[in-house]
Parts: sequence; structure tokens; C-alpha cells
Amino acid sequence: MIFVFLLAPAVASALLALVVRPYRAAVGWANGALSLVAVGAALALWREVLGGRVPVAGPDDLLRADALSTLLAFCVSLVGALAAWLGPGLGDDSWDATQARRFRIFANLFVFTMLFAVTTDNVGFMWVAIEATTITSALLIPLHASKASVEASWKYILIGSVGIALAFAGTVLAYFDFSTLVGRETTALSWTLLREVAPALNPRVLELAFVFILIGYGTKAGVAPMHTWLPDAHSEAPSALSAMMSGVLLAVALYAIVRWQAVVGRAAVSPGFAENVIGLLGVLSLAIGALSLVAQRNYKRLLAYSSIEHTGLICVGLALGPLGVFASMLHLLNHSLAKSTTFLLAGRVLGRYKTAEIEGVTGLLRTMPWTGGFFAAGMLAVIGLPPFGLFVSEFALVRAGFAAGRPLTIALVLALLAVGFVGVLAHLNRMLYGPPPGGVPIGERGHWALVPLGACLAALIVLGLTVPAALDGLLVSIAGIVTP
Amino acid sequence: MDSLFAQLVVLESSLALIFGLVLLWRRGVPAYVNAFTWQSIVLALVAATVAWFGRQRELYVVAALLVLLKVIAIPRLLARMERRFATERELAPYVNTATSLVVAGLLVLFGYAVMRPVVAASELPTRAAMPLAMGLVLVSLFVVVSRKKALTQVIGFLVLENGIALLALLGAYGIPLIVELGVFLDALMGFLVMQIFVYRIHETFETLDVDQLDRLRH
Amino acid sequence: MVPWAIEIVQAALVLALAPGLVGVVRWLKARLQSRRGAPPWQPYYELRKLFGKEVVVSSNASWLFRLAPYVVFASTAAAACLVPSLAVGRPLDAVGDLLVVVYLLLLGTVFLSLAGLDPGSAFGGMGSSREMTVAALAEPTVALAIFALALSAGSTNLGQIVGRTLTDPAAALSPGHLFAFAALFVVMLAETGRLPVDNPATHLELTMIHEAMVLEYSGRYLALIEWAAALKLLVFFALLGNLFLPWGVAVAATPVALTLALGSLLLKLAVIAVVVAVLETRVAKLRLFRVPELLSVSFVLALLAVTSSFLAR
Repeated sequence: MIFVFLLAPAVASALLALVVRPYRAAVGWANGALSLVAVGAALALWREVLGGRVPVAGPDDLLRADALSTLLAFCVSLVGALAAWLGPGLGDDSWDATQARRFRIFANLFVFTMLFAVTTDNVGFMWVAIEATTITSALLIPLHASKASVEASWKYILIGSVGIALAFAGTVLAYFDFSTLVGRETTALSWTLLREVAPALNPRVLELAFVFILIGYGTKAGVAPMHTWLPDAHSEAPSALSAMMSGVLLAVALYAIVRWQAVVGRAAVSPGFAENVIGLLGVLSLAIGALSLVAQRNYKRLLAYSSIEHTGLICVGLALGPLGVFASMLHLLNHSLAKSTTFLLAGRVLGRYKTAEIEGVTGLLRTMPWTGGFFAAGMLAVIGLPPFGLFVSEFALVRAGFAAGRPLTIALVLALLAVGFVGVLAHLNRMLYGPPPGGVPIGERGHWALVPLGACLAALIVLGLTVPAALDGLLVSIAGIVTP
Repeated sequence: MDSLFAQLVVLESSLALIFGLVLLWRRGVPAYVNAFTWQSIVLALVAATVAWFGRQRELYVVAALLVLLKVIAIPRLLARMERRFATERELAPYVNTATSLVVAGLLVLFGYAVMRPVVAASELPTRAAMPLAMGLVLVSLFVVVSRKKALTQVIGFLVLENGIALLALLGAYGIPLIVELGVFLDALMGFLVMQIFVYRIHETFETLDVDQLDRLRH
Repeated sequence: MVPWAIEIVQAALVLALAPGLVGVVRWLKARLQSRRGAPPWQPYYELRKLFGKEVVVSSNASWLFRLAPYVVFASTAAAACLVPSLAVGRPLDAVGDLLVVVYLLLLGTVFLSLAGLDPGSAFGGMGSSREMTVAALAEPTVALAIFALALSAGSTNLGQIVGRTLTDPAAALSPGHLFAFAALFVVMLAETGRLPVDNPATHLELTMIHEAMVLEYSGRYLALIEWAAALKLLVFFALLGNLFLPWGVAVAATPVALTLALGSLLLKLAVIAVVVAVLETRVAKLRLFRVPELLSVSFVLALLAVTSSFLAR
């Protein structure tokens, strides 16, 4: 039943937007209200999971929500709700009715595919759903058809599809070994079953499969060196979509990797195999993300590169044992909140200044005091400054690194974070102060849209001061799932 | 019986691989579409062969779907695009033809190397052909990264999908039908969306040369 | 006594059949192109006529020019004798190695190119240089394809390869065999000067390779060279037919087996002739700089052949 409340709102909203034409604001309001239902369902799942139950539903237990699924379902539905309230057609009025309708249809389908991906127990369907996220989101990137956005979406769909196809090849390789063990039924792709029989699987085959899976889903997660599409797509997309892509799509792709890591971790592969590959790619992504931050001239691209940096950070955490998994899952939640908020704020800035170039934006604090202030807070959160949640999760990650006996890796990570920190701070400084360029109207508009964003920032501050017991319990059980 | 089965799938897989190599050697898009169509026919044959010898009834459904989708529907749409963009030929790919072919040969060698543990772990009569499927996957990846025209890249991607489908058929007699249906749906939708973008690239850039897509550099 | 008799019968048969094969291919092509075409036995008339004609030799030509036709014919005829067209277990099987056959044919090619250069005519030099390019590019493919066959048979001896495939019919469908077949087929097109590498039916100066080299020849020299070219075509056809689909080749020296072998040989030659004729009707000649690409296709095929026969053992 919970699953119905989780998955149905997105489908219903998409259908509604499809049926009602031309687009009316009522569709947006309904969409916003329904999206809150999904958030409620995710919270209900959370309570179930904390109570030690694992809700399942559907034929062959197709849907299953353990702690890991719950965390992701919460992130996705929350960011989905933010996008629903603040996206084209409701909170963002720079789009016409056709564009708003298209956004409502595909963005809701996008949310649905992500929610389905994180709540299905079948790794085959998980793949199908993640592939579908590419299709649904690619159509939204060129909402304004311009050369740059067409280019960005082409790179996105091509690289994304090819990457995800490789993940399918990996899934097939793992399934092949597995089907000889278990037999050829639909349940044969069940993650629960897969994890159970993992110790009996052929380690060499599983290693090969995992490399394919890591490259495949890693492409969607923006793991370097397969990240090249990400800055383009995230910067050219409408801000509400950027918020979803950067905030949760990367997390969903990482989720798929974590699911498989949990399987591989239990198999008889060479010790530390999965951790080593993930950690290596993580450090590489972190390095590329952090170093690119310095050279950016476009603030949406800046945020996109910062997402690569954080993906790398989460990957590094996954390689550091149970403590590391705890830290990186906390970081995933923090990053979802911080990045989607900041992207939505960046959308407001873009709407006012009509340029995404950092040079073109000055005196932000004077033109839009609230937006500017929030944007600054969001940026500081993103680079991991206290009192925001990302500081705590990065700190936990560093501690996990020392506990796992990897001081050198941690030193490298800290150095790269410092580089990114300096890079972002320099750009931010330029944007906030100075005289506003001529022709940009001064004064805040659409105050109410700032309320949810402010709430997110407040939540980040709470997470920076303490990890609530409910969250702690969830993260501990995730660590138990991922590392045996 | 098993040896005939093994020989047949190896034969069919070799053909599929050769049709994949055609993408590196020919230049006109009609030749690519033909190669893709024939490869899909061969793929459907593999499905039917595995269905018959491996006694997997549901694979007949897969074979039928393959024919419908990849032998009839997609080639038609491709041919329509081809007529529209008749002047867009793959004249100067990033890697020249002779080098491409040698690289493809090395990739197939590499495919054999990485598939050794998999082949060793398998007891199916189809195992001998699995490296060929992996070779096809790697070769089509190379096609996607080394060609310049959007349309060629799409065809390369379709061939990649064929390679993976072949791998699934050979390695595990196909994945469960219900998942397979989802995969087919994704393949079709993905192709349609790519098609939309090919048209759109042509509209906005007046060429299908992705070399022209260089506006976004940090 | 009997084995040598078979040997002689086979050699005579091959020598006699060769011009006919060329005639059949030409005739088939003509029919496919809706022309009436010369009858298949036309090349015999041509050879007879050429043998009766006077020889004209350029005053610039050296002894090499006069020697070359004999070397070309002898080496090709020797190669033709070694190929198990009819039967295995013949006395010459002992030296009937695939490497020997291929390099005997190459010896003929080398002499023909030298002869093309010798009189110092522009066309001859052009033809020779092109022929050498093609031969040099085809060489690695041939070597690799031979390795592929040798790996699965455990020997480069033609008789043994045929025997091995006969005892293990499944091997004929192995990917190694198939790729090697495809590779050798492409090489055959290149080496025997067929479309899409060279057009045997044209004397258009810009495109010709083989015809450019033999432009200076006349009379019996030309007859020998033409006959050798026909023989070469037959050798390749027979190799393709008997190495990859050896059924019908006589293992025992009984009249029934030999008759059967003759029948199957003719059938195989006819089938390959049809394939070549259809191909030549369908495809256009490649521009010269595309030829290396075609040959790298065959090289890749041969590489795949070696890989799969090496790794699938």
C-alpha cells in the first residue's frame, strides 16, 4: 500500500498534465500536492524500516524497500516535490504553457522511473528504470531549443545510453553465472536472492560483471572519466531539472552501484576488489571535479562540476568499510538537499540576470537580497563549510578513512577539497558583491518560492549540528546491508 | 545434437560480428542500415536456434519481437532518416578505415581475453560463441566513439544493443521474458528519442556532423 | 603405379579445366548482365590462336622478359599439381604444403611484375607497382589465414587439413574456419585480379593492374600468361572449395571415389564461379586507395580466424 502512495502520485501527475491541454496552473498545484503524498509515503517507509520490517509488494516481491531504498526514495520524492513546486508552470514563470506542460509530463515520469528504480528488488527492472530515466530527462533538457541545449542533450542521451547499455552487459554477465546456480525464473534477477547466493558465484565472472556495471552506472553517476556529458547536460537543462539530475539522478545511479557492491562484497572475489575500483574512480572524479571548479566561467557548470566532485567523494566513502558507507550515505542525503536547493536558486539568478556567465552576475546581494543570501549559503554548504550537513558527512568520511588505515587517500581527498573550496569561494565572492549590471531590476519577486528553499537550508543546518536518531538508525542498517 | 547446436550459434554469432564490422568499412548510411537489418535477422535466428535446441519456448517470443522491432520497425525509421539526410555520409571519421579495422581486430582479441573466465565457467553448448558477442559489443562501442555523424552513432548504438542481446542469449539463454519486454520497450523509446534529436540537430546545426557540436567547452 | 597415375590424371585435368573455368565465369557474367556472351569454351580458341601467333618483343626488353612467362606458368602449374583437387594421399602430398602453394603463386606474381617493369613502358611499371602493393597487403592475410587453418588441423599440409576436416565435419563450421574462408575469399579476389580490386574485362588504362603488366606480351608468351592466370584462378577456387568443404575428395583410389571426386570438384567450382560472377555483377571496382581498406578487412578476418581457432581449441 505504501508503494502505491509512493509511486502513483508521479504517474497521476504525468497523466493529468497529459490530459489537460493547454496547461493550466491547477495542474501544477495538483502536481505539487501529489508530490507531497509521495514524500509522506517515503516517510512511512522510513518508519517501517526503522521498526525492523522490510515492506514488499507485487508479484514475486517485485517491490521491496530496505533501508537503502528508503533513503533514496526519500531523497527522490523530496527533490521531486521541490521541482514540482518550483519548476516551470508553478514557481518558475519564465516558460510558456506548452513548455510547462511538457515539463510536467516528463519530469513526473522521470521521478516515477527514479522511484521505481530504487524500490524494485529485481536488478533487471532496476536497469530498465534507470535507462528510462535517461529517455525521460533527455527530452526536457532542450526545453528552450538552442544550439547549446541540443548539443548537451545529444551528448547526454548518447553517452548515457551507451553507458547504461554496458551496465546491462554487466547485469547479463552476472545473471549468466547466477542462472546456472538458481535456475531461469523471473526471481532469478532478484537482488535479495542474488545477495544470498553471492558466495557461491564464480568470482572471476562476477569481477568482470562488476567492472561493466561500475562503468555503466558510473557513466550516469558522473564518475570520471565517463563524466564528460554531465557539465553540459546539468548546465543547459532548466533549473528544476538540473536540480533533479544533480540532486538525485546521480544518487540513483550510485544506488545501483551500491546494490551491486553489496553482492560483490559477499562473493569470493579477491579481497578489496570492489572497494579498490570504486575508490580509484572516486579519487579520479574528485580530482577532475575539484580542479575544474577553479577554471569555470559559468555558475551552473560550476555546480555541475561540484556534483562530479561529490560523486567522487561518495565513491571514496563506499571504499572505506562500514564507517565509510555510513558517511557516504549521509553525504548523499546532504548533497541531494544542498545541490538541488542551490540549482533552484541558480535558476532564480539566471531568470533575473539572463546569463549563466559568472562575469555577468555582480551585486547579487543588492538585486535579490534573499535569493543572493540563500545562494551564498547553498554554495557554502556545497563546499562543505560548517554549520552545514556536508561538513559533518565529510568529517565522518575522513574519520572512516583513518579508521580504515588509508591516511594517504584521505590526505589527497582533503587537498582536492581545499582546491575546490578556494575555487568556488573566489567565484562566489565576485557574484555577491559589486555594482549590479545596468538593466537588471532590483528587488525580490515571488517570495513564497523562497520558503521551501529556506526550509531545505535550515534542514542542512540541523544535519550539520546533529544526526537525528531516525537517520542514524537508517544509515547504520544501510552500512549493514552494503558491507557484510 | 549439442555439437550441431554449438556450431550453429557460433556460425550465427560470427555472422553478427561480421555485420558489425561492416560499419567500419562502408561509408554510406544505406549500407549501415542494411548491415544492421541483417545483423538483427541473424540475432533473431540465434534466438530461434537457442529456443529450439535449448527448449526455451519464450525465446520464440523474443525472436518474434526482434523481427518486429529490429528487422522491420527500426530499419524503416532509419531508412526514412537516411532519405532525409542523404548527403550526410561518413566521409572522414575520427579514425581512418584501415586503422579502424585493425583496432576492431584487436578489440575482438581483447574480447576473447576478458571472456576467458566466463567461457571457462559456462557449461552451456553456446559458450564458444560468447567471446564473439563481447567482441561485437566492444567493436560497436568503438564505432560510436570514432564516427562523426549523429546518424552513424545511433546505428552504432543499435548494434551495441544487438551485441548485448546476443551476449544474453548465448550466456544465459536470454534474460527472463518479463524483463526482456522492459528492455525492448526501453530500446524502442530510446531509439525514438534519439531519432527526435537527430532531426533536431539537423534543424539547429544544419548538419549531422557532431564535430560541429562544440559550443560547450567549460 | 596407381597413385602416380592419379597424380598425372589430376594434373592434366586441372590444366585442361582452367581456361574453361575462366570462360564459364565470363559467360555467367554475360548472362547476368543480359548479354549473350561468348561461349564458355571461348578461352580455348583464344589460347590456340595465341600459340599460333608470332611473338613481338620490345627491343628494350631483356632476357627476363622472355623468361618470365615460363616461370609464371611453371610455378602456377606446380602449385596446381600440389593442391588436392581430386584426391588426398597422392605421392605429391608429401610436399603439398599450403605455404609452398601460396609462395609458388607469389613467385609467379613477382616474375610477372618484373616482366612488367622490364620493357620500361609506362603502363607496365604502373601495373607492377600496383600489383606489388596489392600482393604486399594480401600477404599478411594469407599467412594468418594459413595459421588459422593449420592451428585447427595441427599441420600446414594440405592433405592433412582436408583429412582432418573430413574426419571432424563440425570443424568446418567453426568460427576459425569461417573467418579464414572469408579472409581467403577476399584475398582470392585480390590475387586473381577480380572485381572489386581489378577488372579483368577492361583495358581502361587508369584502373588496370594485371592487364597493365601483360600489355607488352604477345603470341605464345601471352598465351602462357593467360593460361597461368586461369590456372591461378582454378587453384584458388579449388583451395577454397576443398579446404573448407572437403566432402567428395577421394580418400581411396577407387574408380567410384574418383568419379565422385570429379563430380564434386566440378560442382564446387561451378558454385564458386556463380558466386564470383554474381559478385562481379553487383559491385563496382574500388578506387585504388580503397583497396588497402578492403585488404585490411580481410586481414581482420584472418586475425579473428587465428584468435578463434587458437582460443577455442
